[in-house]
Amino acid sequence: MSSQQANEGQPGSDGEALGEQADRRQSRRGRLRNLGVAAAIAAVVVVVLVVVSQQGGEEPAQRSGGGGLVGVAETRTTFAGIPQDGTTLGDPEAPMVLTEFIDLQCFSCRQAAIQVLPGVIETYVRTGRLRLELRTLTFIGPDSVRAAKAAHAAATRDLMWNFTELWFLNQGEEGSGYATNPFIRAIAQGAGVNPQLVFDGIKSPALQVPLREAERQAQAARVQGTPTFLLGRRPGPASPS
Amino acid sequence: MTDRRLRLALLGVTAAGVAVAGYLTWVHYAGVGLLCAGGGGGCGRVQGSSYATLAGVPVAVIGLGGYLAILCSLLLRGEPARLATAALALVGAAFSAYLTYLELFVIEAICQWCVASAILMVCAAALACWRVLIDPHEHGGFTGTGQDRLDARSSPQA
Repeated sequence: MSSQQANEGQPGSDGEALGEQADRRQSRRGRLRNLGVAAAIAAVVVVVLVVVSQQGGEEPAQRSGGGGLVGVAETRTTFAGIPQDGTTLGDPEAPMVLTEFIDLQCFSCRQAAIQVLPGVIETYVRTGRLRLELRTLTFIGPDSVRAAKAAHAAATRDLMWNFTELWFLNQGEEGSGYATNPFIRAIAQGAGVNPQLVFDGIKSPALQVPLREAERQAQAARVQGTPTFLLGRRPGPASPS
Repeated sequence: MTDRRLRLALLGVTAAGVAVAGYLTWVHYAGVGLLCAGGGGGCGRVQGSSYATLAGVPVAVIGLGGYLAILCSLLLRGEPARLATAALALVGAAFSAYLTYLELFVIEAICQWCVASAILMVCAAALACWRVLIDPHEHGGFTGTGQDRLDARSSPQA
């Protein structure tokens, strides 16, 4: 093709190029519009999800006002900033370990939890000098088993101490059957644990294992009743006290 | 950046998301503790909160479903498939942002796995939107017609 012919062909080429540019702009606008529609649909879906989530979730602090549960805020304050790992409360490197054997239906355990432990936690656990270990026994009755398994379900989320403390603060009379589903649900929510997780744990055979282990340790240490505290150096307890 | 590269990057990000959400789902049903670096109980606190389920369904399961849906959309071709990927990823990113807000201001604890999933979902959303915006004819994408590459390579008449 000669240059003359090429030059004669220029206006047509320019027109095609302009047409292509216009097509690309239109195409890009179309893609932007489609993306906008996709984003709008996504926004609607997310709003629905958020609304459903808000209906299902409850702020633990609000439960203490309207739900009849006491000590929610107090429990959060007691354990705020202290590491929990399963049944353990405190610095894993702490030189001393205090192992407590409890039954969640036990009134004396409640007294210890309310009157003694907060001071121990503040003075020794928070300063890294002491680590606490919890062992749940179930000798009082069937509700003790439910309570212990519920507590161990909370332990899988590192909230066992919050759960048991709140339980003690709202404890009913021994053997009265107060550990109903609504009660357990309220305790779980107040402690910041998903109630469904707790109910699943109560039904789970796997959570019998920590209960049997606690029983075995109690027998080995000749634990006669609850609460019993065993103090020792890391890693395990030394003698009853 | 070609459509193919964006798709591959999305596949990688989504696969990582499936792994994270899959692990959280397994932890929920196995009843074992979460592996959480640094201690403090943040992971447990977040996973154990009431916000960890949505209408009785664990959020981890919802996240896993979301990542799998994105993965499926990546296996399809065409503009509708790219839009579906973008819409799913945008839902995931926005909901992850809401969950992160809950962690910071409501639950007041951070779950490292949740943060990882949120970052992955935001990356997926960015990649998916980019993929929608690029011109597949110019950037080697497939629109499903089979004529695309021939048209893109056609030269002007002499």
